[in-house]
Amino acid sequence: MKKILNLQVNGETHEIAVNPADTLLHVLREGLGLIGTKRGCDSGGCGCCTVLVDGKAVYSCMLLALSAVGKSIVTIEGLSTDGKLDPLQEAFIKAGAVQCGFCVCGMIISSKGLLMENPHPKEAEIRQALSGNLCRCTGYHKIVEAVRIASAHS
Amino acid sequence: MAFSKLKEVYTPQSSEEVVKLLKQHGHGALILGGGTFLHGLSARGLLPDVEALIDIQKLGLDYFTPSNGVVKTGASVTFTALEKQPELTKAPWLGVLKDALEYIPVQVKNMATVGGSLASSLPLFDLPVAFMTLKGSVVAAGPKGNRKISLDEFFKGQFENALQRGEFITEVLLPVPPRRTASAFLKNEKHANALAILNVGVSITLDKAGKCEEARVVFGGGVGDVPVRGRSCENALEGKRPNKELLKLASETVEADLNPISDHRASAKYRKAIAKVLVERAFETALQKLN
Repeated sequence: MKKILNLQVNGETHEIAVNPADTLLHVLREGLGLIGTKRGCDSGGCGCCTVLVDGKAVYSCMLLALSAVGKSIVTIEGLSTDGKLDPLQEAFIKAGAVQCGFCVCGMIISSKGLLMENPHPKEAEIRQALSGNLCRCTGYHKIVEAVRIASAHS
Repeated sequence: MAFSKLKEVYTPQSSEEVVKLLKQHGHGALILGGGTFLHGLSARGLLPDVEALIDIQKLGLDYFTPSNGVVKTGASVTFTALEKQPELTKAPWLGVLKDALEYIPVQVKNMATVGGSLASSLPLFDLPVAFMTLKGSVVAAGPKGNRKISLDEFFKGQFENALQRGEFITEVLLPVPPRRTASAFLKNEKHANALAILNVGVSITLDKAGKCEEARVVFGGGVGDVPVRGRSCENALEGKRPNKELLKLASETVEADLNPISDHRASAKYRKAIAKVLVERAFETALQKLN
């Protein structure tokens, strides 16, 4: 039986009916139409479903939507302000850190979580923070470079 | 997630309430820690009858308290919260925990809990090996009250443990060892999100003369249904001065304690070979922490 719950996503409260077993990823994509968060492995192995929950990066495919009630959720759609991209998004463009683009929303959200806690990370810290995000295209160097660029401007 | 029968996720406020819910739902109840392994279990068809998840994050089990020679860690402490405890950096004896946490992706660390990692009872995980290396015990709450179970006795098989029906883990206890104790952890894996091909936790206590008073070796990964003690290696070190030659000799003995699996990730032969290398390096790392 579905349950009605309120989810706070990107600063807005959404009332939505969910099955108890629905993951946050499922609800974001299928319920709220926020398809920037990608469904990759759907088992906590690739990172493209990463969102921020209370400022911390988590795999939304591993989190039940019911467990996200009362928490602040930020997806890739929530980073821009008044139509202006977040400096981190700008840095990814500047560094050429996007190829096929499937992993990039998770990469940016994981990077955002890192920079919120550690605005000036060392390269090893960037790589550690992104170790749970797989990219099959870039070889990671330009992604790390993008985070360094964003870090330098913060 | 394949929970076709799941009807409710409870968030009780007390241990008594949890015990009551476990009794009420019987086989259909499952304790929810961080939830990072739910998918792993459901994908293997291991949760077909789960109708109620009992989220224990509101029980106040999020403490890390050194007191009277014992470090108590609440079951709901996340890996991230554990990693941020200053003691993990300051105390060489806790090095095995600090090292093990470094392998885990941040998204998992932000959700996964200490209690969940142990209750899952999968030998491929890293933290159970680290806690076992530190002679950890769990406190289980249940209908008959609380009881302490040594991790040496806790793991009974893959996904099986010593918890009785109606019991759940509330905290992990680590006895503070003698001052000259250090520990370390090493893992062989394919990538950050991969389960261990083989991992090892080691701990060593030196006496005043610099001889090994006590050593402890625990292997996880593809070593069997439960983590395995490297007792031959421990015996080879105890009472002796741990120099390079002795560590080499001791590492050669691990073969006697291991009967690893062969799978698509590595052969048993490879696992035995890598075990020797990892145990030697882990002891070198631990000893460096005492210098």
